[in-house]
Amino acid sequence: MAENSRKKRAKILEKKRDPFRSLKIAIGLGVAVIFIFPIIWMLFVSIKPDGFTTTNPFEWFAPPYTFSNYIDLIMNSLILKWLWNSLFVATITTILTLFITALAAFAISQMKFRFKNTIYIFFLLGLMIPGEATIIPLYEIVKNLNMIDSYAGLILPMIASPLGVIILKSFFDGVPQEIIESATIDGCSYFKLFYKIVLPLAKPAMAAIGIFTFIGSWNNFLWPYLSILSETLYTLPVGLPVFNSNYSQAYVEPMTANAIASIPVIVAFLIFEKQIVKGISFTGIKG
Amino acid sequence: MNSKRKAWMQDLRAIPFLLPFFIAYMIFTIFPILKGLEMSLYDWNLVRKLEFVRLENYKDMIGDQFFWDSLWNTTLFVILTTPTMVALALGLALLANLNTKFQTFLRGSFFLPSILSVAVISFLAIFMLQPYNGLINSVLHLIGIEAEPFWMADKVLAWVSIVVVTLWWTVGFNMILFLASLQDIPESLYEASEIDGATRWEQFRYITFPQLIPIGRVILLLQILASYKVFAQILLITGGGPSGSTRPLIQYIYEVGFTKNNLGYAAAMSYALFFILLVLSIVQLKSQRSEGN
Repeated sequence: MAENSRKKRAKILEKKRDPFRSLKIAIGLGVAVIFIFPIIWMLFVSIKPDGFTTTNPFEWFAPPYTFSNYIDLIMNSLILKWLWNSLFVATITTILTLFITALAAFAISQMKFRFKNTIYIFFLLGLMIPGEATIIPLYEIVKNLNMIDSYAGLILPMIASPLGVIILKSFFDGVPQEIIESATIDGCSYFKLFYKIVLPLAKPAMAAIGIFTFIGSWNNFLWPYLSILSETLYTLPVGLPVFNSNYSQAYVEPMTANAIASIPVIVAFLIFEKQIVKGISFTGIKG
Repeated sequence: MNSKRKAWMQDLRAIPFLLPFFIAYMIFTIFPILKGLEMSLYDWNLVRKLEFVRLENYKDMIGDQFFWDSLWNTTLFVILTTPTMVALALGLALLANLNTKFQTFLRGSFFLPSILSVAVISFLAIFMLQPYNGLINSVLHLIGIEAEPFWMADKVLAWVSIVVVTLWWTVGFNMILFLASLQDIPESLYEASEIDGATRWEQFRYITFPQLIPIGRVILLLQILASYKVFAQILLITGGGPSGSTRPLIQYIYEVGFTKNNLGYAAAMSYALFFILLVLSIVQLKSQRSEGN
């Protein structure tokens, strides 16, 4: 309630202050429509009869509609498999990243051991090593580990995130010392302290890093493009170009494939918009 | 003696916490740098190491026009996208910060393209930009423009397409960073300035803008760093064409390594990219540190 009335007051103030408010809102709406227009167009093309094409822009949005393209593609292509691969790889990458970065960050934040600062700085160095510039030797290393063309090869090289360690360490540093001390006095082991007390407190930071990692993995192109050879192991970004080819005149099938790849993330975004936005401003500002 | 033993015990307890990250970090982040150095000194193909060639690969690189062209293309991409990105992100953040019932819609729409896969946005672009029946050209014809631009076949138009698509795809992320910073500006600053009779423009010029400079600098540097890594959307939209005029460095590295089967030379060029990115990220970390203080 208080939040609501505060917002209302701000709105009234803004109206009084800003003579161009309506114009700005109109511009905002115009830009917003331009931004989502290609996505709406994609969805409409995907429900046109197969082989449809037109030079009249309005015809793209007019009936007749059909969902047979979706059924066709799902039955006769690997697209669901690729969707599954993308989801699986992104989920496992996120879980493993959270797991190993939280453990390391906890040790650096709360435990006593020698060379702690040296180790922390050594981990931070990773921030300055861009994966894109080490992709050739990485390929050679993963090849020697026999992990080219496997889930393990897709996932494991992506999980050691120095940014995750930094963010979680600074979060763990903020956990009140009394809580930790009283737990230690009660004879709590470090593992128990970690997953019973510190980890639950770190939920917002974990969520932010998790969202960040998931989106990064979901959109990763270069590494899967290099390291995956079999079609059954493709992730969506690598698999979709199979349907699309430059200057092909067929619209409907490729757009259906794009729509199948996009609908789950659009739905997830609409549900989790608030958390995603929060997660990005959290990690983005730190990073 | 006893205290030394105690220190050992403490080290031992920390090891299981540190080890998983340490192993993954060593194998996949640190080791590739050393491996890359080794590879760049050899004739090395996709199957195996051939012979030691000293600095031959680096010499080849300096004399390779394609290397310099692709490095320039990447730099051009950075020059074209960075200022436009920061300005657009700021503009969208100001619009998305308006107190209206459309607020959620505005934010959602500006950010939505960012969650789509690079393959999806690239092929949306390709299909919209087709000559004759592509959506953009159809709309041009509809409003009476008779021209038939071939967006991918002309060097300038190809660059325009890449820049516009990149802005559309990634600006939402930067907008959110600006937006978070906008919301942190205390309302009291505006109230006080109002009492002093400040105009709306003066409020923006003397309150909003200065408060946004720190995050603006972060965005600028992150953007430069990210843009030097450009690859996927260019590969998918123009394929680096027409005739190599949009091919970025990473694409050239990829082609040399995997199409021309010359991983040694590709590793040497990766080192050049590594060096550029290293300098940029040191600048970024330095500037963030100085901000923290």
